[in-house]
Amino acid sequence: MSDLPWLGLFVWGTIAGLDQVSVLQGLLSRPLVAGAAAGAILGDLESGLRIGAVLELFALDVLPVGAARYPDYGGATVAAVALAAGGPWQLMLGPAALLGLLVASLGGWSLVIHRRITAWGLHRHAGALDRGDPGVARRVHELGLVFDLCRSGIMAAIGLFGVVALRTAGPPLDLPTARALALVVIIGGLAAMVGGALRRAGTLRRVGWLLGGALAGVAGAMLR
Amino acid sequence: MTVPLAARVRTLIRLVSLQASWTYERMQGVGLGVATEPLLEPLTDADHARAARGRSVQYFNAHPYLGGIAAGALARAELDHEPGERILRLRTALSGPLGALGDQLVWAGVVPATMAGLLVAQVWRGGVLAIVAVVIAYNLGRLLMTAWGLQVGLAHGLHVAHAVSASWLPRAAAWAGAAAAVLVGAAAPIAGAWFLRDTGYGDRTLALGLATALIFGLAGLRRRVPAIAFTLAAAGLVVLWRWSAA
Repeated sequence: MSDLPWLGLFVWGTIAGLDQVSVLQGLLSRPLVAGAAAGAILGDLESGLRIGAVLELFALDVLPVGAARYPDYGGATVAAVALAAGGPWQLMLGPAALLGLLVASLGGWSLVIHRRITAWGLHRHAGALDRGDPGVARRVHELGLVFDLCRSGIMAAIGLFGVVALRTAGPPLDLPTARALALVVIIGGLAAMVGGALRRAGTLRRVGWLLGGALAGVAGAMLR
Repeated sequence: MTVPLAARVRTLIRLVSLQASWTYERMQGVGLGVATEPLLEPLTDADHARAARGRSVQYFNAHPYLGGIAAGALARAELDHEPGERILRLRTALSGPLGALGDQLVWAGVVPATMAGLLVAQVWRGGVLAIVAVVIAYNLGRLLMTAWGLQVGLAHGLHVAHAVSASWLPRAAAWAGAAAAVLVGAAAPIAGAWFLRDTGYGDRTLALGLATALIFGLAGLRRRVPAIAFTLAAAGLVVLWRWSAA
């Protein structure tokens, strides 16, 4: 268990989680990006790319707008890749992606908690904020930033504890179960991706673009 | 009143963390207030500066990449000594359109198009280099867009809405949405084949999988079907079935 670079994974998971809402929002929390980096940290790029890619199918369903609660894939993807690393990704795809989905859903709730804690800090300083007292807004803002840093760190740690628990739980899954779970997450991911694309399309014209892309994709898949 | 370049750069840096203090009550209000602070430094009258700071932390919500437009416009209005009520009205008026435009351009356009493109690139061995290049390019574009917004806001003040609607943004949003539709549409069968073939499944499973995804997607048009919950439930059934068969 000590062979994994835990500190590097924890730091990267925290950074990716922070990117989700508070800082930058520059694709670092996208599963494909977070997974590739985690794979590089672990020295297993193939697993990082594959696990990141399958979770990306689910993330393509998400529209991270305003007050909505959406899964946090940053630390979740790092944990999923850590679970799969070192073994054949085909066998680990199912269990790793399922761990990622669970942690990501939990991360969605943690965002709500973060917003409520920040609101508590805001209420305490509401009068001073409205009066325009100097430095108060920055203090409230920094409070929110620190809370989100802690939130991201906790989510990364929960994911990595999940990895330790699953790796020590017992023997790996048998081949038919591993293949069946892989099938479930791949089809689940495709369903999420297609569902998100149809909802975003909105107009008939866009649905036409979507169908055109799908036909090109079928041709591409046949050529590969 | 002119705003020094150093103050603009500080605002740009602060806009990167616009959402750190997001709450259900004021949403991005406090974050926008913190980002606007450097732009208000030229205000020499202490009472006016205090009132401006008080206004700058009220309710606001828009797409985070377009926060620069609001920060610039509101700061320009304060520096031009526009009445406080008009400034607060502008603040509220900008929220909806900047949110909708940004969501359409970025969350529903550029991001899905970029990630679907990267997925397809992985199938053809794009690897980590493609991801690094795209992330760098994306973030450069993101910062440039925020900096451009800040510039437009500072230049147009209360009339910023007209400047934005006449700019490249609405057209780009329409194109980004179309690009996202094409690329996500193409990525679904390509990524599906990539995963299923490499995990030992044949093309019939791929066809069935895509059909299932389509039915699921169409079913979710009326009322959203939570894909994660369904996947976890299906996985639970698989584990139960295998356990009972053992």
